Amino acid sequence: MSEHGERSAPGKGLVNGLAVTLKTMTRRSTTQQYPDVQPELPPRSRGVIALLEENCTVCMLCARECPDWCIYIDSHKEEVVVPGAARARQRNVLDRFDIDFSLCMYCGICIEVCPFDALHWSPEFEYSELDVLDLLHDKDRLGAWMPTVPPPPAHDVLGEPSKEEATAARKAAGPGAPTAARTARARPETPEPGK
Amino acid sequence: MPLWLDLLVRVVAVVAAFLVLPLLVGQAEHKVMAHMQGRLGPMYAGAFHGWAQLVADGVKFVQKEDITPRDADRRVFQLAPVVALFPYLIVLLAIPLGPGGLVAQPLDVGLFFVLAVLGIGVVAVLMSAWASANKYSLLGGLRGAAQLLGYELPLVLAAASVAMAAGTLSLPGIVEAWSPWWLLWQAPAALVFFVSGLAEIRRPPFDMPIADSELVFGYMTEYTGLRFAFFLLAEYVGIIVIAALTTVLFLGGWHGPAAEHLGWLWTLLKVFAVSFVIIWLRVSYPRLREDQLQRLCWLVLVPVALAQLVLTAAVKVAL
Amino acid sequence: MTVADALLLALGAVAVGSGALVVTSTHLVRAGLYLVVSLGAMAGLYLVLGAELVAWVQVLVYVGAVVVLLLFAVMLTRAPIGPSADLDRPAWPALVVGGGVGLGLAALFIDAFRWTIVALPVPGTTERMGAEIFGTWVLPFEVLSILLLSALVGAIVLSRPDIGAPKEGGA
Repeated sequence: MSEHGERSAPGKGLVNGLAVTLKTMTRRSTTQQYPDVQPELPPRSRGVIALLEENCTVCMLCARECPDWCIYIDSHKEEVVVPGAARARQRNVLDRFDIDFSLCMYCGICIEVCPFDALHWSPEFEYSELDVLDLLHDKDRLGAWMPTVPPPPAHDVLGEPSKEEATAARKAAGPGAPTAARTARARPETPEPGK
Repeated sequence: MPLWLDLLVRVVAVVAAFLVLPLLVGQAEHKVMAHMQGRLGPMYAGAFHGWAQLVADGVKFVQKEDITPRDADRRVFQLAPVVALFPYLIVLLAIPLGPGGLVAQPLDVGLFFVLAVLGIGVVAVLMSAWASANKYSLLGGLRGAAQLLGYELPLVLAAASVAMAAGTLSLPGIVEAWSPWWLLWQAPAALVFFVSGLAEIRRPPFDMPIADSELVFGYMTEYTGLRFAFFLLAEYVGIIVIAALTTVLFLGGWHGPAAEHLGWLWTLLKVFAVSFVIIWLRVSYPRLREDQLQRLCWLVLVPVALAQLVLTAAVKVAL
Repeated sequence: MTVADALLLALGAVAVGSGALVVTSTHLVRAGLYLVVSLGAMAGLYLVLGAELVAWVQVLVYVGAVVVLLLFAVMLTRAPIGPSADLDRPAWPALVVGGGVGLGLAALFIDAFRWTIVALPVPGTTERMGAEIFGTWVLPFEVLSILLLSALVGAIVLSRPDIGAPKEGGA
């Protein structure tokens, strides 16, 4: 019947095929009923970028690092008179912070480089528009996404502690305390085998 | 009951069955196929699990433009869907639902009538294929004609076996004579009948005449709107007819507990069970190649059917 | 004139009319389709006459198989849509032979029966048919089956050139 040498009992493949489809029928389907049921998105989903305006210092790092130049920032300087100080301090005031989501490729570099945590990922994704120009979100709109930003996921208990935490712990313990790398290894109580 | 009223009731019943049962099977196919593929299938039409999907489809087909290709043979082209649908409507007349004459038209040669009328369907395939003036249609039609002609032989031989066992050609008579051990005795014939029946209604895995991946849509390529819907309806009535014939000939029709009162229910249940298997096969198996199709028919089904005839005759003589 | 008479006349008219169209139509495939109509009307005639089994055999064999094979062959070779101008048709000899046979048979029947009224026979059931075939007509039936068998064997021999062909090389 066939050129292939090894064959099991005739008709076994046919029965197997039937069994697969029947088994699939009894399982729950994987269909996401999206508009009716909201999808369960994983943490750190890249939906839209939210802006926490107070944190922004107009350092322009994000705009410069953006690979497709979709962040537009305008600002002016303001003098803040500090009583007792010799000179008035200068402060940057943010006038405009736009992200053009028709250009954005969701790489997240702006969020990574922001030294003051002014930019955050929000999992919201329903912001399609009929006009491509409306995809340019100004700072109010970007700020409006802020409440949708989920709290950061808890630290992995087995993971290395953040640099800040480790430094603080070392300072508290005084000089000669173990370094961050050593604390990390010491944390899981059971030592790794072979070390 | 006056004669005309009796006639009216029967005709209305058959037309209702003709219109409702295919919809049920069609809907079942939507849902069963979807769940077998890990999907949900239609969910919106009619609010509850898409029960009205086929009604919506029907409305859509009615609204579509009825296109006849410029180079087509207009009259033949337009007649073909009706010719495709008509035989199945006629066949439903002869299928017994329950004991005590619960059949639209009891016929002494019911089996023969059914097989003869089913054979007309191939004319519709050739008509639509040729009249479309489309080479894919023609290829599909020729494949279809070769398939239908070939598979009619095992179909008739398998049916002949059961007719021989029952000693009658009347469909109610065959069910009357049926007894459970026939399930074993007539098993090869049942299998042959079912498989060649599948091929007769051109269902996957025997859908080479349609073969959408190679022939666009075979002989149905040029059809739109209501005429296309007729072809689809013919396919689903075809499922009902083949399931009903398999039920009546091989699965004992109305036989079951409390057959006197619930016979019709048993018949319907068995018909739907066989229809489910037809859908199941469609989901599970890929399409056969054209040469595999003919090989299966002539080298497997026909010899098995002939052997079954010998077996039936031997048992019949021995009893 | 009963319903049966009217049906007979109507079906006869359909059969003859579509039969005439078969030989006069210049549309090749349509001629075949007219043949379907003609043979179907013949089956209807049998049905009116109470020969149910013969009627359905007519449908099964002629409509469902013979004409389909014919159409199949035509479509495999040449099946233009629209009229074909180059159909080879011996009109006059065909008319003479066909018309002559038709008229002759009609005259023969009319002369034989004149105005005798023959009642419709008892509708043929399968049982009576079987008893007739395997009782009275068993010899012709068996002879026919031998004829069919030999035709079958002939078809196999013709379609398999390796049977009876001179052996070439070491095949």
